[in-house]
Amino acid sequence: MTFYVIRRVLIGVMLLFLMSFAFFGLTRLTPGPPFSTGENPRAHQELIDKRMNALGLNKPWYAQYPAYLNALVHGNLGDSYVYNQPVTKLLTQRVPNSVILLGTALIVSLLIAIPLGIFAATRQYSKLDMTTSVISYVGISVPSFVLGIFLLFAGGIWLRHLTGGDFYFPLFGMHKGSTSGLDDLVWHMVLPVTSLAVLSVAGFSRFMRASMLEVLHQDYVRTAKAKGLAQRTVNYKHALRNAILPIITLVALQTPQFVSGAIITEGIFSWPGMGLLAFQAAVDRDYPVILGVVMLVAVLTVTFNLLADIAYAVVDPRIRY
Amino acid sequence: MADQPLKRIAQTGSLLGAAGVAQAMAAEEALRHEGAAEDLVVAEVAEPSEIGFWKLAVIRFLHHRTATVSLGILLFIIVTAMILPTFQGDLFRLQDYTHPYGSPFEFHSRTVSLAGASFSIPWTDHLLGTDALGRDEMARLVRGARVSLTVGLLAMLGYIIIGGILGALAGYYGGWIDNALMRLTDVIIAMPFILVVVAVTAAFGGVSLTVLVLVIAGLGWFEIGRLMRAQFLVLRESEFVQAARALGASDARIIFRHIVPNSLAPIIVSATLGVSGIILLEAALGFLGYSVPPPEPSWGNLLSQYEEEIQLGKLWPLAFPAIALVTTALCINLIGDGIRDALDPRQR
Repeated sequence: MTFYVIRRVLIGVMLLFLMSFAFFGLTRLTPGPPFSTGENPRAHQELIDKRMNALGLNKPWYAQYPAYLNALVHGNLGDSYVYNQPVTKLLTQRVPNSVILLGTALIVSLLIAIPLGIFAATRQYSKLDMTTSVISYVGISVPSFVLGIFLLFAGGIWLRHLTGGDFYFPLFGMHKGSTSGLDDLVWHMVLPVTSLAVLSVAGFSRFMRASMLEVLHQDYVRTAKAKGLAQRTVNYKHALRNAILPIITLVALQTPQFVSGAIITEGIFSWPGMGLLAFQAAVDRDYPVILGVVMLVAVLTVTFNLLADIAYAVVDPRIRY
Repeated sequence: MADQPLKRIAQTGSLLGAAGVAQAMAAEEALRHEGAAEDLVVAEVAEPSEIGFWKLAVIRFLHHRTATVSLGILLFIIVTAMILPTFQGDLFRLQDYTHPYGSPFEFHSRTVSLAGASFSIPWTDHLLGTDALGRDEMARLVRGARVSLTVGLLAMLGYIIIGGILGALAGYYGGWIDNALMRLTDVIIAMPFILVVVAVTAAFGGVSLTVLVLVIAGLGWFEIGRLMRAQFLVLRESEFVQAARALGASDARIIFRHIVPNSLAPIIVSATLGVSGIILLEAALGFLGYSVPPPEPSWGNLLSQYEEEIQLGKLWPLAFPAIALVTTALCINLIGDGIRDALDPRQR
């Protein structure tokens, strides 16, 4: 076990190096150098060249890598070219925004999806089950940006017309009346959380239903029924505990995505999160920011995968490494 | 063990002779409802099966009503996307300067003369209206379907080729190939997909249909790859493969004659569902401006003008591509579900 953990940690570290190298190369090989987009179109070429020189960007990319790696190992992600701020500072500003948005969406969707999945499974082939599966099929087929656009229209424009300008959800970063603080946050969160949650409810409820159905057909559940236990007790005490394990794993493995944010949803609703930061950085060729986001997500993904594998081995004595 | 019921059903089918599909299905239903043991006894004495696994799967699929309806709608979309643009030619990029922002379904009467007599019929130049530049929305929508469907199908072909081969090698031979492959998929999964696509397409020097297909196929194959690997891992140890090996069959023969035919079912299901995933991904990229460049339309491109349209209070230019996109994805998902049911003998 100890040997296995050590080996996995070493492999994980190696993977991270590999990824930093691959992504470093990828950003540098992307045509269009930094300062070529967005910035002042009248900027003098000499100024740009001077800046590029100062940042060492005129050297070939593989010659730039050792310096980057050295800084990375020392926990220094460099400074953003666009914001003129340390990347670590930008990340600490943006990470909470994405975590709040995606965390709320996750909690909301789990609160809806888990009961829905359980009901659908315990009443298989009932009207409720059929309705749930139709809804989840539609939910899976609607991309987040389509839903987002229509929510924008319905919540921001249509609702406003309908109520004569009294009741609407704030759009494009504007504020609603005199609201501020938590109130403002909640108002801004309604539409993006809805658009994210619909998709996850569709996915999670199907998953929960399948998992519950599988458990309900197992021998120990039949034994529990044969003992004369009430259907409720069998369903919720015996079956649910085992059925909910896979969904917990699924959620745990998705946790790193919280930090990477939701590029499209954040873009549509102007939510200042990591997804928007990363996408804008990719468009602006803001190398340190792109690499910072990617490496942060990579570290979390590798760590969570490792933790999940170790947790399996601890929980399930049949697994040996 | 899993395909035991299917064999029984098939045998019952053969008992009915060439009487056909409907009777086989009825027999299947009867078997399922009653588990009819006496029927089975008769069936097992009968001639060997005439309806094979795949034929039976097709029969079962055709009896899945939602799936067949979805297939019909999808075929209609595909045929329209293939035929209509060839008649319309350059209409998708021609600008009607006199009619920008045209509303959909605006009919006016027009006189046509046919065989000497003249009639007045409702007519519209632009059935679904025009965009800000006066381009015909209908032509753009139909032409956009081409991009979405082409990318969906070709990228999936890429998934199957790359993922199938690498997954099969990893599952069959194991060892360092397996390890390297699994770590590679870890790397790909840990990367934010859209960012990578943006960076790689840019590295190719701009987006075209070919680049889009290559990039999506090159980054998305691992799901099929993992599935293939898992299938090979299980089947490699199965008794019929051991028997084949004991008889001295070569690796190639074992792989292609014994393992691949038995591993196809989950791959087909995953591939079908994957096509809708790719179509939605292409639309998302188009939405972000990283699909085919203008004036070539794609459903994602058409939706990317949303900010302007919403501020103008116009929803319909967004409604048509959205409906087309969701309908296509939904149809493919339902077809995939139908195929899953048809191929899985345990499912009802």
